[in-house]
Amino acid sequence: MISFILMVNKQGQTRLSSYYEWMNMEERVALESEIIRKCLSRSELQCSFLEYRGFKVIYRRYASLFFIVGTKADFDVRKSALASGAKKGDKGVENHENELGLLEFIHSLVETMDRWAGSICELDIMYQLEQVHFLLDEMVQNGYVVETNKSNVLRPIDLIERESKKNEGMFR
Amino acid sequence: MSTQARGLNNFISDLRNAKSREEESDRVEVELAKIRKKFNPGDAKLAPDGSNPSLSSYQRKKYVWKLVYIHVLGYEVDFGHAEVLALVRSKKYSEKTVGYVALSLLLRGSDPVMGSVVNTMKADLTTAPVPGKKKKGAVKNDAVQCLALCSLANISGLELIQALHVEVQHVLVSKGSTEPVKKKAALCLLRLTRTSPNLLSGREFAPHLGQLLEDPHLGVLTSVTSLLNGLASQHPADYEILIPHAVHVLSVLVMKKACAREYLYYRTPSPWLQIKLLKFLQLYPNAVEGHDIGMEGTGYVAQLINVVSKVLMETDVSDSINKSNADHAILFEAVNLIVAWGTTCPAAMREGAMKLLGKFISVREPNIRYLGLMTMAKLAQIEGSVEGAKKHQATVLVSLKDADISVRRRALDLLFVICDTDNAERIVDELVAHLVVADASIREEMVLKIAILAEKYATDLRWYVDTILKLISISGDYVSDSIWHRVVQIVTNHPQGDLQGYAAGTLFVAVSPHRCHETTVCVAAYVLGEFGFLIAERPGMSGEEQFNVLHQHWFNVSTTTRAILTSTYAKLANLYEECRPLVAPVFAKSKNSSDVEVQQRCAEYASMREAFSPDAVEDLLREMPPFEDKRRSALELRLLEKEGEDSAAVTKASTPTAVEQQRALQSAQMLNGPSMEEENEVGPLDEQGGEPEGEGGDGVGQEQARGEEPPEDTKEESMENGSATPVVGIPKELIPAMRKAFSNLCTSPSGVLFENSLLQVGVKHEYVGAQGRISVFFGNLHSSPLQNFKVKVDQPDHLRMQMQGTQDLLDDGEYDSPGCTVATKTQAKLLILVEVTAPFDDAPPMRISFDTEEGERHDYPLRLPLVATCFMEPVNLDPGAFMQRWKSLEGPERECQEVMRLPSGSVIDEAYMERVSKIIVDGLKFGWCQGVDPTPWTVSGAATFRTGAADANGNNINVGCLVRVEANPKANAFRVTTRTLHPLCSKAIKNVSLVSIKLAM
Repeated sequence: MISFILMVNKQGQTRLSSYYEWMNMEERVALESEIIRKCLSRSELQCSFLEYRGFKVIYRRYASLFFIVGTKADFDVRKSALASGAKKGDKGVENHENELGLLEFIHSLVETMDRWAGSICELDIMYQLEQVHFLLDEMVQNGYVVETNKSNVLRPIDLIERESKKNEGMFR
Repeated sequence: MSTQARGLNNFISDLRNAKSREEESDRVEVELAKIRKKFNPGDAKLAPDGSNPSLSSYQRKKYVWKLVYIHVLGYEVDFGHAEVLALVRSKKYSEKTVGYVALSLLLRGSDPVMGSVVNTMKADLTTAPVPGKKKKGAVKNDAVQCLALCSLANISGLELIQALHVEVQHVLVSKGSTEPVKKKAALCLLRLTRTSPNLLSGREFAPHLGQLLEDPHLGVLTSVTSLLNGLASQHPADYEILIPHAVHVLSVLVMKKACAREYLYYRTPSPWLQIKLLKFLQLYPNAVEGHDIGMEGTGYVAQLINVVSKVLMETDVSDSINKSNADHAILFEAVNLIVAWGTTCPAAMREGAMKLLGKFISVREPNIRYLGLMTMAKLAQIEGSVEGAKKHQATVLVSLKDADISVRRRALDLLFVICDTDNAERIVDELVAHLVVADASIREEMVLKIAILAEKYATDLRWYVDTILKLISISGDYVSDSIWHRVVQIVTNHPQGDLQGYAAGTLFVAVSPHRCHETTVCVAAYVLGEFGFLIAERPGMSGEEQFNVLHQHWFNVSTTTRAILTSTYAKLANLYEECRPLVAPVFAKSKNSSDVEVQQRCAEYASMREAFSPDAVEDLLREMPPFEDKRRSALELRLLEKEGEDSAAVTKASTPTAVEQQRALQSAQMLNGPSMEEENEVGPLDEQGGEPEGEGGDGVGQEQARGEEPPEDTKEESMENGSATPVVGIPKELIPAMRKAFSNLCTSPSGVLFENSLLQVGVKHEYVGAQGRISVFFGNLHSSPLQNFKVKVDQPDHLRMQMQGTQDLLDDGEYDSPGCTVATKTQAKLLILVEVTAPFDDAPPMRISFDTEEGERHDYPLRLPLVATCFMEPVNLDPGAFMQRWKSLEGPERECQEVMRLPSGSVIDEAYMERVSKIIVDGLKFGWCQGVDPTPWTVSGAATFRTGAADANGNNINVGCLVRVEANPKANAFRVTTRTLHPLCSKAIKNVSLVSIKLAM
């Protein structure tokens, strides 16, 4: 499953984060900064994956923005792999998320954001914090991809915007 | 088009302009103080829910968003929950959305405030659109439902699950639910079942899922498949009937490319759904057994094979990187499916996959290369596939030198997997050569793996010694103690050939230069001390010269190494007259060393000759006996520690190679004369069975099953408190029944822990890995209410607990809570979530106290049936593997054994043995290893004790456990033997087994 999604600028500042497994703040800050440091220090010629403390991290860079997705093998999948693995001569089936799948999911996310805000940039994410969160919630829920159809994703956001206009603007 | 509040934007801009982390955190502090004041100004009256009613909707949303932003930046936000909840409760959609988003981001499910939001969530969940009404209203309701589902899925506290799972299930399968609701409900249910695995009955629920899999909406399909994956990996058999459904959906996507336009991703029909379906199929490794490509048939198996072949054959690189990635994502998942099928997969398919991967690992695109290497390592582990992978050895070696650490790691892993006797020398030499330039982040891992490979595949152990010496000279700081200890063990244990002489000679040369790594000095000191005599006749290597080459390092090494040198000197001095005058001053001087170990050794060695007879001295300084051969060497344990039980490398490292086995046999013959395999077998019970140990079964029972503590001590306590009411404890006559109830509960998922005329305590408990969920019910059987009802559960160090219960029920020891009142014929409930962090052998105490209306105070010290075996996970071993592990766990620290005689009149027969094996499997959760012994009177089992504690690398720590129950029908006795790596585990399993076997009578 997806454990967290980060949007980070090239100075390494987190602009948006969403965690799908609870982590206490101390642990979270340490993990986040180390992963960001590692991602930022990699070159364009290197692959988009890295492994850190049991996480498989998949990241993609768009100009000055990094999208970072951290994943872990599913808990119950790990368990059954052990039980059946031992039976069949120790062949472990580690059920991680599909790396390329997530890499393209990031792209699909960015395309969806593009459709909503034109060409997405760091400032959009900062100053339209709420919409980005709504949008992300439409695409990922408790660590799994839920929707990739752009119209379906954007429909509830349109609804909110319509709604807030009706109420004289959600924030005046 | 920014609709965001100006105040929020200003704040964000301020933070953005902050020049340092300090400036940022100052700004955050100021803001937090401001918001705190806004939420609770002190003079204004707060609403009953704790929120400030004078805030406008605009302000409340703005401040909550600020809190969310501060939280995202990594600051602790521990207030404002009341305002978040007020937003959730709001009737306005725009407020609700903010409330729910903030709820999922700021709070965790176990937070106590969650309780107060249950009803709002329930209402939001069930506000299904009424058909026929105005369309606009319908859209809105479904949006509210979606919000609630999404938020619940992201947090999922225990209390929320219990209160809402029925609704979620209903919403998912209901015909009236809209697609967006269904897709969110599916993932929400997945989260709920993951926290609480036995929420659903798979057999009943599978048909519903089958129906959902026929939904034309791809969003619904995607999330339903995620749910299916989660459920099926817990209980694969229950969902096997859905394979045809999954194959059908997959084949529509792959073969017909039929899919709504919006779901096409660069002309590929929803790659994410395809991946999920392929992952589901991986749970069924025998699905295509006996089928081959091109076989006739219209069944789903033929269809599935066609689909996989098509993916394998027709995926191509395209000019769009996105299209290419999406297609390859599916391709790699299809190869994973082939890996899951293993040897049951058509051979041509496996070969095709290997060929493709061979192509991938030589491309320039780093992502494809990385995945190619990773997947090939998996594929190569299938029987008969390693030869195919070995052909690509040269290519893999190139990737080992890649600029990217991620790629290098995968290459190293793959090399490790394909290494065998044929190519070991080449691979190891390459690895050693690469070590010179390898960077620090991967060196330690490389050194460890090289050491293991060199040992496993050495056809000539002299090569092994040379390799390790090279490792030390290239990368000595990364050669751990366990690696050089292993060299010493191997040299000592292999007297055949000229290994010992060779090692002594080589080390003499290695240690001769004035500059050499300290680890070399250690190995040389030890080996020359033991086997130096073998080379003393060679020119330039006499005892005196041996002393000199070693002693030149004396002042440069640590005290630990000096301690080793001291012993070597003593041995040299003993053998060679001419060394004595050289050694004596060293000892004399170091008798005053500040290091205790060095000082003691020197003092003792110096005075040994005066104190003991020459024979005794000779005896003391004799060669060391061979080391005990452990099945899992320290190096393997280290690898296990680093990579976890599932790692391919670990599996490989712990399987002995043919070379190793032959070597072991030879040395056993050299060292012990004729083979003594017989002796190692676990003796039949007869040896001892006639005379069980004096201690009866009862004594054992007490250790584990003490459901009570002496009532006296409770009385004393309450006296001290100055309480005047008499305290009633547990009556003595109840104790035997309680003991039995406790033991029963240890091995069954639910039952009654305690019962008298006033109170009944029921327990339900279930476990997944290191985690468990225990529900305790306190039912009032009396005719009047029980007052001041309190429960106190001690939290031992080895358990992490989270408790939720009826209001005021829990006595957390912090303040003097009055307790709750349990009305007659009602129950109080306590829910405990537990995670085990270390082995243990007792059960946590739980103290119940209450007053009756008659004024009697009752106080019952009980124990929760939470014992070590609750956290077992069965491991199924074949007899060979079982015996191998069994032998490797010999030793007093690891074994626990006890004999128990059954009361006269009981008969041990086959039916009884069947009950015993049932207990081992169902009750103690061990995997039954059948066929270990030919007799029906023995039961053997294996399991893993899971803990939630992580080692330095973040992997959970687990303990492997083995148990054997041997019966002797003639003597009417049982012997239970347990072996684990942890003494407490052994003891705990033994205790629980004995008690439960006794109960099986």
